[in-house]
Amino acid sequence: MPILAAHNLFKTYQLGKTHVPVLRGVSLSIEEGERVAILGRSGSGKSTLLHLLAGLDTPDAGHDSHIAFDGRTLASRSGRELDDYRTRSVGLVFQFYHLFPELPVLENVLIASMIGKSRIAWTTSRQALRSRATALLEQVGLGHRLHHRPVELSGGERQRVAIARALMNEPRILLADEPTGNLDRQTGSSILDLLDGVQAQTKQTMVIVTHDPATAARADRTVRLADGIVVESLDSTPTSPTGSHG
Amino acid sequence: MHQGYLNSAPVYQALLTRRYLTSKIMPLLSSLAVMLCTTMVLVTWSVMGGFLKVLLDSGRKLVGDVKIEWPNTGFAYYDELIRDLEADSGLTVTPRAGQRSTAASPPKGLIIAAAPIIESFGVLGLPDGRTVNVMLKGVEPVSFDRVTNYYGTLWWKPLKEPLPKDDDKEDPRLQNLTRVDMLIPGAVPDDKSDAWPAMLENGKNLQRYHTGSGQVKPAVVLGTEVTGYNRRSASGVYVPMRSRSRDSDGNINLLSTFMPLDGEVTLHVLPLDKKGRGIEMQSRIFPVANEFKTDVFLFDKGVAILPLGELQKMLKMDAAKRLQTGKPGVRIVKDPKTGEEKIEMASQDQLTEDPARVTGVLVRGKDGVDARVLRDRCEEIYAEFAARHPGEVPLAASMNIQTWQQQNAGFIGAVEKEIALVLFLFSMISLVAVVLVLSIFWSMVSEKTKDIGILRAIGASKMGIAWLWLRYGLAIGIVGSIMGFGLSSLIIMNINPIHEWMGRAMGIQIWDPSIYYFTQIPSDLRWDKVLLVLGGGIIFSVLGALIPAIRASRMDPVRALRFE
Repeated sequence: MPILAAHNLFKTYQLGKTHVPVLRGVSLSIEEGERVAILGRSGSGKSTLLHLLAGLDTPDAGHDSHIAFDGRTLASRSGRELDDYRTRSVGLVFQFYHLFPELPVLENVLIASMIGKSRIAWTTSRQALRSRATALLEQVGLGHRLHHRPVELSGGERQRVAIARALMNEPRILLADEPTGNLDRQTGSSILDLLDGVQAQTKQTMVIVTHDPATAARADRTVRLADGIVVESLDSTPTSPTGSHG
Repeated sequence: MHQGYLNSAPVYQALLTRRYLTSKIMPLLSSLAVMLCTTMVLVTWSVMGGFLKVLLDSGRKLVGDVKIEWPNTGFAYYDELIRDLEADSGLTVTPRAGQRSTAASPPKGLIIAAAPIIESFGVLGLPDGRTVNVMLKGVEPVSFDRVTNYYGTLWWKPLKEPLPKDDDKEDPRLQNLTRVDMLIPGAVPDDKSDAWPAMLENGKNLQRYHTGSGQVKPAVVLGTEVTGYNRRSASGVYVPMRSRSRDSDGNINLLSTFMPLDGEVTLHVLPLDKKGRGIEMQSRIFPVANEFKTDVFLFDKGVAILPLGELQKMLKMDAAKRLQTGKPGVRIVKDPKTGEEKIEMASQDQLTEDPARVTGVLVRGKDGVDARVLRDRCEEIYAEFAARHPGEVPLAASMNIQTWQQQNAGFIGAVEKEIALVLFLFSMISLVAVVLVLSIFWSMVSEKTKDIGILRAIGASKMGIAWLWLRYGLAIGIVGSIMGFGLSSLIIMNINPIHEWMGRAMGIQIWDPSIYYFTQIPSDLRWDKVLLVLGGGIIFSVLGALIPAIRASRMDPVRALRFE
């Protein structure tokens, strides 16, 4: 059974009086431990698809659409269960990092673990969680920047913090929306190397949305989107974390 | 496992509230808005409350706690009533039918003192020919002082320290008054010793030595504002002026108008008969013994105090033998020796003794005794007194027995209404704080749209987001209110120095003692008011944050994440 399965997803946005179809019947299945790239040009609907998969948005009704995580559809979950899904099952990485500017690096990572914890649970597990956040930041190469504010970091460093935050709650699946889209090629490559390393270490399931074929090539499988439909789904040749992409 | 909202929510909210509060100018501005509003309301309330308190304290002067009154014609046997009142040990205070008792058990010894008084209206002729209407209070100074602290209101007396605002020491009481000969019989004109103590004694005894006749005469004590001869300076002291008077030949005479030294006034009164009809105007010249100041302009401008006996005489209320003319008649007289009966012409004319009368008796209760309880007790005592004098004194039900608050209800009510109005207006203005917090929060929510998107993306609930902003409003309310309390305490404690500084530095004098009558700006900061205002500030802040909080919780996370 796939860990995440999407069936016949439609999504239309309304811009003024105009209805703009973004997804027009997308189906997708992701196996545990798999790394899938969703490749497409700007406006192809790939970010919308990611938002639907993350439970941040809902597909249009009336098309027998559904998204199932571990065999249970997101639509059947209550608001609280959906919040819980985003907290524990999914880790999100964005193109523009989306860090809290007021929080230092360590707290930006820790906040993910605060969302799902009761005050008592937080108090009792605080030390362990701090250690995990610190270890994650060390893993992404920011062990020396724990108390810096995001504004003091480079773009690549900020994205590393965002990845550490996404991994903080040990999610079943990591969803990354153009994680290298805002970075230069070299920095972007180092971020992909980092994701390679994470996957190699933990068999982390990943869905990476990208417009860059080179980025997509580092995935196990590439799903190509165009005009809101899946036009191609290709298995890639497995690449080593230190491969020639970048 | 997912924890309950209340249990799980506050951890990230506490972190973000703390970080937001300390890292942005917006929350500082919101807190300042709340601080200024709470300060404004607290300072206003305290000053107005202080104003009322001073007025109430002042309003008690010269009136005692309770007045038993039968105006105009007055009532007799008042000495007996006073004895009854002063002898009262409060043994039988029982609530009247249908009235709730204000005390659980009969209080004992409610009354400290009682004093007779005649209150009537009169006209004063002043040395420069002007006349002023005054309320006359005929009193026995010793008993009057026991009931009203009359001595404490006497203004012209020795003074060692200048008044708080009298920086230039222009108060004449600070200097020796050397006209001892004007005040003390037998003193030589060049006696340089201080005459202020003699003037104070004159005031206490309602008498003054008259240099013309060489006699000590009954005298009046006027309110400091009655004659208009005392100039009240900005520092709140009185300086006697000289008055120019034009005589019938067109000459201008300069009159010394320091009334307690050598001034005289002519008092005109209209006595009334028992049916309240005017008899014949009485006029008499009185020297002025001293002047009093109660801080209630109404009294200080319009009251003259004189010896009870003198006013009784003028108003025909003193004890007198009166011939009561009856119809002529006949009577049968039996000779005791012979047993013979004779018819004699007989006159029913009788020489009767009319006892002295007063219009009222002032009563002073012990400290802390509720004036209403005291009034009830006075009503009972009067009822017992009236029962012993049927037909001779007014019935208890007819008597006007009032507490000092009831007597001053006019001006107390006016000030209370003013306070309520000012507070209402200022509370309305404080709603500005709500709008201010609302607009600041609205803009902060807009600014933090992306944060809201991130929080939703990492699993924060809608309620959690709403509570984050409400909590933020609460924090700003608490910080702003506490700062407001600090600032208002500083202002209230230093309101007079601040006012003086404003006067010196900017020439602004908001509280002019020559207009507002008190030399110091009063204030009365009470904890119940403080808690109410601080609570209000916090609630207003949360209310201001409510709409932005709801807006934040309803944000579409995808749109929020795309917000630039």
